[in-house]
Amino acid sequence: MSAPIRRRKTSSLIVLGIVALALLTMPFWAGSYNLRLATNVLLWVGLALSWNVVCGYAGYISFGHIAFFGIGAYVTAILMQPGVGWNFFATLPVGAVVAAVIALAVGFPTLRLRGAYFAIATWAMAEGVRELATVASITGGSGGLVLPVKSDDTFFYWCMLAATAGAYLVCFLLLERSRFGYKVKAVRDNEPAARAQGINANLVKNQAFILSAVIPAVLGGINAYWITFINPDSSLNTILTDQLVVMVLVGGLGHIWGPVIGGTVLYLAQQQFVVLFGDSTAYIVLVGALVVLVVLFLPDGLVSLLPGSRRLNLIRRFIRPRATTTTGSS
Amino acid sequence: MDALAIEDVRKSFGGVQALQGITFSVAPQEIVGVIGPNGSGKSTLFNVLTGALKPDSGRVLLNGKDITRWPAYRIARSGLGRTFQIPALFENMTVLENLLTASVEHNWDGVHERASAVIELLELQRVAAEPARSLSGGQQRLLELGRVLMREPDLVLLDEVAAGVHPNLRKLMLDVIRAKREAGTTFLVIEHDMELTGEICDRIIVMDAGEVVAKGTFEEISSDAHVMEAYLGVSVE
Repeated sequence: MSAPIRRRKTSSLIVLGIVALALLTMPFWAGSYNLRLATNVLLWVGLALSWNVVCGYAGYISFGHIAFFGIGAYVTAILMQPGVGWNFFATLPVGAVVAAVIALAVGFPTLRLRGAYFAIATWAMAEGVRELATVASITGGSGGLVLPVKSDDTFFYWCMLAATAGAYLVCFLLLERSRFGYKVKAVRDNEPAARAQGINANLVKNQAFILSAVIPAVLGGINAYWITFINPDSSLNTILTDQLVVMVLVGGLGHIWGPVIGGTVLYLAQQQFVVLFGDSTAYIVLVGALVVLVVLFLPDGLVSLLPGSRRLNLIRRFIRPRATTTTGSS
Repeated sequence: MDALAIEDVRKSFGGVQALQGITFSVAPQEIVGVIGPNGSGKSTLFNVLTGALKPDSGRVLLNGKDITRWPAYRIARSGLGRTFQIPALFENMTVLENLLTASVEHNWDGVHERASAVIELLELQRVAAEPARSLSGGQQRLLELGRVLMREPDLVLLDEVAAGVHPNLRKLMLDVIRAKREAGTTFLVIEHDMELTGEICDRIIVMDAGEVVAKGTFEEISSDAHVMEAYLGVSVE
C-alpha cells in the first residue's frame, strides 16, 4: 500500500471514529431537539442508502421506493394495534419479509428488462400500495392508524442508529467487500459481459432489489412507532422518493458514502430553511439548483470532493443508453 | 470427444437467414479460425454458442454436453469463455477488479495472486488501479483476454481480439494464446486479419451468407474458389 493511500485510510478511520463517538454519546449531551434532528437524519440516511443499492449499485431507477417504507410502517402499526398487541421489535422482521416478497413480485418480471420498464413498474407499485392503504379497513383507510405512544426520544434514537448503522454495515460488506458486490457492479456496468463471466444477472439484480427493499421497511416500522400516527399521505407519499433520489444524487450515486453525505446535508439544509423562511418552498428551489449543478459540474456528487474518491459518472450514464446486446457486425 | 460440436444450427431474424444449417466441430487443443465477409453470420454464430441468442434449431455440444438453449451464464460456468467484438468491460471498475470479477463464479482461491500474475503477463501493471474506461483500445482487448485467462475455460471464443491492436501487443496476445493452447485450452477465433489467422489457426472455417462455404488449412483455404468469390466477389473458374 502506497504512503498517500495509507495516510488517506488513517484519516478516514480517524474521521469515522469521531463520527461514531459523537453518535454513540449524543443522547448524553445533545438536547431533545437535536436528538430528534439526529434521529431524522439517520432515517433519511438509511433510506438514501437503500435507494443507492438499487440505483447506484445495480443500475436500476426505482421511482416507488417509498412503498417499502410505508409497507414497514403499516405492518408495525397493524401488528401493534390493540387486540393484536405484538412486541414492537417482533414487527420489524415481519415488515422486512413482506417488503422482500413484494420486491420479488415486482422485480422478477421487470428486472429482466432494460430502460424505463422497471422505473414505471416501481412507480405503479407505490401508487397501488398507496391506493390500497387508502381504501382498506385494516390500514385504517385515509384516516390512518394510531400506534401505542412511547414518549422516549432516546429509545427511538438508538433504534434508528442501530438500523441505519446496521444497514450501512451490511451494504458496505456486501457491496464493497464481497463477491456479491463485484457481481452487482458488473451487471450494472455491462450485463452481457457479466453473463459471459458466469454471473446470473437476473438473480443478482433481484437480490440487490430485495436488499434495497428490506432497509426502508425496517426504518418505516421504527418511524411509525416513533411518530405514533401514520396515514397514506405521511408514509406512502411518492414525493418522499423524490427526496431520496435528490439526496443520493447530491451525495454521490454509486458511492457508499454518497447517501450518508447527501442525506445529512440535505435534511439539515431543509430544516435550516424552515427555520429561516418559515416553510420549505425555498428548500425546493435549493434542491432544483443543486441537482442542476451536480449534473453539470459534480456528476459524482459531494463525495467526489473527498480525496481519493473514485469517478463513476453514473448520472450521465443514465442519460445515454448502455450495453444491451452482444451482436456484432460480422 | 470434440471440445465443441455444432450440428445443423439455424437462426433467422425476421426474413433474414443469419445461420443456415451450420455444422462443424473443434477438437480439444485446436485453434480454429472462422472467417467471412461482414454479415456472413460469424458473430451471430458466436452469440448462439455463448447463449446470448437462442438458435431456431440444431444442437451445440460443449465437451459432449448439450448446451443448446442454456442461458449464457450457465454456458460460461460450464467452461466457455469469450471476448466481444467491441470490448465489453466493466467500465467503472479498475483493471484489477475486472479480473477479480471474472473469477466470482469460478475458483476464488488465490484470486488476487492469479490476477497479479495475469496483470504481469499482459503487461498491465501501470494501469492496474485505473478504471477500465480509461484504457487504450489495445489495452481494453488485452483486459478482455485477461478476464478469460482468469477463468481458465476449456473453450475460448475470440471475436476479432487483435483488431486495432499495436503490433507489440498483438504479438503478446498471440504468445499468450499459443501458451494456453499448449496448456490444454481450445480456441475458436473470428478474425478478419488473414495474416494472423494463418499464423495461429490449425484449421479455418469460411462462412458466407450464413453458411459454411469452405473448411481446411490456411493453404487450402487460400486457393479455394468459394473463398475467393466470398471475399473478392469474383468467380474463379
